[in-house]
Amino acid sequence: MKTSIQYACGLALLLFLGWGCQHDTDTFDGPFLVDRFGEFAVVTNLEVSQPTVDFTAGETVFFTAAFNKNVDWIVEITGTESGAVRRIEGFDREVAAGNATWTGGTTDLPFFSAENCSVKLLVPEEPDFVDSVMVEVLTPKVYEGSLFTNFEEDLGVNAEIGNFEFEFTNNTTRSNTAVPPAEGEFVFYLEGTDDVVPNFFVGLVAIESDVAGATYAPLPTKVPEELYFNCFIHGDGGPHTIAIVEFVVDSNDSGNYEDGPDALFRVPDDLRVTWEGWNHINYPMSETGITEEDLEKLVAIRLVLISDRNAQPDPPLTVDFGIDFITFTQGAPLQL
Amino acid sequence: MKYSLRQLCCFLVLLLAPGTLLWAQDGSAKPTEKEEEGKKVRFNGLGRTILNQTAIDGSVLDSDTSTIQRQTDGEFLLDLALNATPNDNAEIQAILRLRNEFGGFFGAGVSVEVRELWARGIIADAVEYRAGDMDHVMTPYTFFNVEEEGRINEATAFAPLRDVINYEQFYQEGNTRRIQGAKLDFGLDFTQILNEIDLNAFAARIRGTDFFTVPTRFIAGGQAQFSTDVFDDSLGLQADFGLNLIHTFDDLRSGNATAGIRNTVTTLSFDVTIIDRDNLGLHLVGETGQSNLQFKQNRDSMPDFEEDDTFLDAGLQLHLKPQKLKVGLSFIDVGPDFFSIGAQSKRIDFEAEKTYYNRLGENRDVRMPSTFDLTRDRALYTFRLSDRLGVYDPRFSNALPYGPATPNRRGLRFNASYGSEADELEVFLDGALLNELRGQGTFELKSFALIRAAANLNIHRWADWKNNLRLTLGYLYEQTNRDGVEVEQIDLTSNLLELGFEFELFTNFELLAGAKLLSASGTEYVPLIEEFNDVRDFPTRLNFDDTETLIAAGFKYTFKKGIYLTLQYQSFESQLGTNNPNDYQLQQFFAIYNMNF
Repeated sequence: MKTSIQYACGLALLLFLGWGCQHDTDTFDGPFLVDRFGEFAVVTNLEVSQPTVDFTAGETVFFTAAFNKNVDWIVEITGTESGAVRRIEGFDREVAAGNATWTGGTTDLPFFSAENCSVKLLVPEEPDFVDSVMVEVLTPKVYEGSLFTNFEEDLGVNAEIGNFEFEFTNNTTRSNTAVPPAEGEFVFYLEGTDDVVPNFFVGLVAIESDVAGATYAPLPTKVPEELYFNCFIHGDGGPHTIAIVEFVVDSNDSGNYEDGPDALFRVPDDLRVTWEGWNHINYPMSETGITEEDLEKLVAIRLVLISDRNAQPDPPLTVDFGIDFITFTQGAPLQL
Repeated sequence: MKYSLRQLCCFLVLLLAPGTLLWAQDGSAKPTEKEEEGKKVRFNGLGRTILNQTAIDGSVLDSDTSTIQRQTDGEFLLDLALNATPNDNAEIQAILRLRNEFGGFFGAGVSVEVRELWARGIIADAVEYRAGDMDHVMTPYTFFNVEEEGRINEATAFAPLRDVINYEQFYQEGNTRRIQGAKLDFGLDFTQILNEIDLNAFAARIRGTDFFTVPTRFIAGGQAQFSTDVFDDSLGLQADFGLNLIHTFDDLRSGNATAGIRNTVTTLSFDVTIIDRDNLGLHLVGETGQSNLQFKQNRDSMPDFEEDDTFLDAGLQLHLKPQKLKVGLSFIDVGPDFFSIGAQSKRIDFEAEKTYYNRLGENRDVRMPSTFDLTRDRALYTFRLSDRLGVYDPRFSNALPYGPATPNRRGLRFNASYGSEADELEVFLDGALLNELRGQGTFELKSFALIRAAANLNIHRWADWKNNLRLTLGYLYEQTNRDGVEVEQIDLTSNLLELGFEFELFTNFELLAGAKLLSASGTEYVPLIEEFNDVRDFPTRLNFDDTETLIAAGFKYTFKKGIYLTLQYQSFESQLGTNNPNDYQLQQFFAIYNMNF
């Protein structure tokens, strides 16, 4: 009996001893020390996969380079004419097709046009390092979605500038000089001063859907939750501008925009244009409260310029904003 | 609870061996050694006065105009223990603390608090219980208060301040931890195969909740320790083994704090007596087990994070009895992800704010804890349990910064000892040759060599003097290496030498002197550890060329046992390389009057 117990105890002990030495040792803890503290060196210089690229035809271009360790790197593509900038960032020891492919999109507006682009490879932790190549864009990227207007064509009768209080300046119009465009060559610019009738309101512009080639705006989907409104709005950094975008539904089925009978929808919050430069504004149409039925009859879009009079000095300052590339996308905001 | 324990006892009795005998044992901490028989209510306690005068100098002050170069502080303290024995089976104790900081008066700097409160007793002459504050220890891998770094065989000159730290942080003999909860303890005697079983269990709350993000944390555990009969009388073959379980868990119903951890450690400990003769003893000793760490967002959800790992510690201990020599050799293998809150929580919090000169220099940089601080600053010490591996200083301990349960180590440990306090010479040696199991920041693995040696030369016994004359020595050597490319390479060497001298010039009047000399040179990375013991970063590559020298001298007069007065002067110098602008020196004069009553 005692011998059996001794054997049993011994066997149990051996099992425990063997079990106690199994560990996960296929990796290491923490960041790689060579990446963290190793001296940086370039193994292969920056190269571009092709000298020209036709984005409209679905081509892409990628960049390659190699370092001796994993680093944070940035490939920065700058349009020599448009000034558009696309940044591709990564943390790796290799820049390659898998992590540095450019499909024609942009990070800092405007969009790229057909132009030469300079491409720089930067490593933030090595401020003295820069490598560069050139790539030529033969045709720019075609963005998805249903374009309402990019203001490249004259709006003609499809734009109604409501300057009832005579507070818009003459600069309120389609323009290629007021602000640098986000896309193409033209934007729509609204400017005025709330100094005639001090009621916040400066003026509005109604753009009928005919500008998109149909009585009612062509949309990629009529489901409000799936339909995203996109536009680019330009601010001058001033603190007093408020922009409002309203969606007009042809409630009386007249086929025309009529102020009064037609229903208006907008997002609840005002858009305070306090930034400087372009900003991509987007939201699902469901946030406006519009229904699927209403979206069948989207007859116009109204742009309203508001002056934040409560914060204005006396006399009030001029307020303004520019708008470009109004488009609708399905399922997600416009992917730059 | 009583009912279920009795049922358990009956079950075990019926199952294992008819004719067993119940007995009780007391594993709890004693309130005092001065208990007087026969009295129902007793008063005892501790009174202490400390006065310090501390000064700083050195090149670090050349550009530092805001540091006060000399400061005086101290405290007057009375811990009054009220111990009552209402009957033969119950005892309660409360310790009230009255404390006044030096310079405090009219209420400023004065505090009154309850330092300790507990009750204990015996149920049905069989089961011991204790509730309230208690000290508890299990095994080195489950619940164990591992010794602090920075000392090996510290000179008696440093003992008064060390005693203050130990008393304030509840550090007791036997590596116990102070917790607040309840525990039960009972044993069973058997007549066949098993000799006895000791069962104990405890539960304690170790952290309160803020009702928003921090849940209440509990720890609970238990041991079943078995002792067999002697199987072979000629050899003395016999085995002791224990099943140990410790579980740390957050109450995920603490207000809005619904996310928390679970840490479970289960082990088997064993001590097999292979030979036990008059001249020789040979034991197979060790422990093996597994840890599990989980994080849950709420009580009923699956774990968001879960990690397991194992450990093994097994070796032989040989005792040559006539030669008074003990030697041991063991193999340890502690997994990189092994985590045991109760065993790996450190005594020293290297990030805690120091009492003296916490920041120095023109930029008010935090001063690194030094041998001066580790020897005397109670603010650096804690008895709290930490839910992640704490910060350590590789100059003091790099091979086993979390004690025996340090994760990510495999190799050999060895030890030897000779003599006892009654002999002319006592020698103790232990060491380790270890490797990492998993790299840190690289696949290259660190290797560690550790030697700790201590010797006490009891000259008064050699010379047959009545008065004490003793020289003490402690020495620590650590070497850490790692190969690889330049940034992966590590080569850190540290030495800590401790010297002590004590001479009883007159009866109860001792001259004391002591020294600590630390040197560290080389390079090392210290990981920044985040939740779940993941290494977040290696903030910098540390280059050491440090020398620290701490010298103490003074006297101690013992009025009677537990009551003494000591006056000492200590001088400390920190040199960081050559002509470093951050070098400094500290001088301190202090007096301690201590009275246990």
